[in-house]
Amino acid sequence: MAGDAILEVHALAKRFRPRSAGADSPWVIRNLSFSVREGEFLTVIGPSGSGKTTLLNLIAQTDVASGGEVRFRTQVAPLGDAKALKPGLGRQIGYITQDDNLLPWRTCLANVLFPLEVQGRLDEETRSRARSLIEAVGLAGFENHYPHELSGGMRKRASLIRTLVYDPPVILMDEPFGAVDAQTRAVLQQDLLRLWELGHKTIVFVTHDIAEAIALGDRTLVLSRPPASVKSEHVISIPRPRDVGSILARPEFVSLYQTIRAEVT
Amino acid sequence: MATPIETGGASADVPAPARPALVERADQLLVLVLLVVLWQGLTLWLGEYWISSPWGTLTGFFRGIADGELLMHASYTVREAVIGFALGGVPAAALPFALRRMPVATAILDPFMVGGYGAPKLALAPLFILWFGIGVASKIALVAFTVFFIVYFSTLSGIRALDTRLVQMAQVMDANERDVARHIVFPGAVPYIFTGLRIAMPYSIGGAVIAELISANRGLGYLIQLRAMNYDTTGIFVALVVTTCIVFVGNWSVNAAERFLLRWRPSADSMLQMDS
Repeated sequence: MAGDAILEVHALAKRFRPRSAGADSPWVIRNLSFSVREGEFLTVIGPSGSGKTTLLNLIAQTDVASGGEVRFRTQVAPLGDAKALKPGLGRQIGYITQDDNLLPWRTCLANVLFPLEVQGRLDEETRSRARSLIEAVGLAGFENHYPHELSGGMRKRASLIRTLVYDPPVILMDEPFGAVDAQTRAVLQQDLLRLWELGHKTIVFVTHDIAEAIALGDRTLVLSRPPASVKSEHVISIPRPRDVGSILARPEFVSLYQTIRAEVT
Repeated sequence: MATPIETGGASADVPAPARPALVERADQLLVLVLLVVLWQGLTLWLGEYWISSPWGTLTGFFRGIADGELLMHASYTVREAVIGFALGGVPAAALPFALRRMPVATAILDPFMVGGYGAPKLALAPLFILWFGIGVASKIALVAFTVFFIVYFSTLSGIRALDTRLVQMAQVMDANERDVARHIVFPGAVPYIFTGLRIAMPYSIGGAVIAELISANRGLGYLIQLRAMNYDTTGIFVALVVTTCIVFVGNWSVNAAERFLLRWRPSADSMLQMDS
């Protein structure tokens, strides 16, 4: 768990362009600071509309910040000028969005291979890596299915391993399991933990589900109501490997859940 | 979507059931028989001078095929339609891609494209004949002109319907502008291009026939014109049947190409059958 900060967010601020000239648009994020250690699983809890997705967009550089600093290792994200952005920072930051965003005209396998293809890294080795990931998440046998032929949970898995396959050092996840039913979600959470145990990637996982944030993370941040800033921070000392099913009954889980619950309401 | 994990994709392996297709065919046959009966009724009522009989049309059709006359004329019409379809359709599908990164140019062109789209093609036919003569060139020009605007606008709407979330996903994965165009913009626009092609297909046959009606010495339109001057109602009916057959074949070809290229899409039929 030791290690220096791989990702640092300092006094970050964001407001969108005003609808009419002269008017000031409200701040979505203001004075938000935190850092993530290498190999850490950080979860971020915030109510709906609290700017969680915006925060991840700023880190992934798909959107531009209005103030403050986002630093990945030594690279600092540009401010103000959207054209200077480098989405994904040259494969350094993977981003799993709320929607699976699979390409509907590609089969499951071709979707998983997509990043390797555009990165020009498609060879025997990366192909076999893709195959083993497909097996690891139980998509074997569905390689040649198109996304519309897959269930919601399967699409989530495909979307997850599509990012894992090119191995970015940091992965951002925006409520990736938000749109599936509770049972599937528990399975997906367990899958994610299992995959994370294998590689210990750095993960920033955003959710509005307190239980999910505790079950998955090493540490969790609670965001305030907009403009978002870090309201509190909790280290989650529940030992790993964790079982998302039985963790809910542990006393440290229950007390942490209640503490956070009180903070967000 | 009650069984998302283990069985979710299993239904995809099951081919579309054959039974509804058979029922559909039988029903289509029934409608055809009804139409022929109606046609025969009209013939008996109004006389064969005005409405050719189904039997007379059929025998006229086979006679025309046997002596090669129909095929000769049809081949001219088909050639004009196919060449015009390609000459109009290919640039029309390509242009919006070339203009994708030039919104100003697209906006400047827009009123002219709308004008071209809205111009009455029938009224343009004499002009094209004046410019390109009474041979195949004027027909090809009219067909190309008609097809171009239909396909241009449908392709343009396909590019405008681009899902920016997919683009963002690809950019995060380090895809460059060319990758985005090739892997996201183009495949996303293909269904729209096909919509344009499917609409334009009958227009291409129709455009060729109309131009031939006005002035030509070959082709199905010329044949209709010639037979009308000779009060040969059956002959006109035969030529119309051939024209309709060509439209059928053209339509079938476009649909077959579409089914193959767009096999990644859930078909409308399977959506109706899906009950979950």
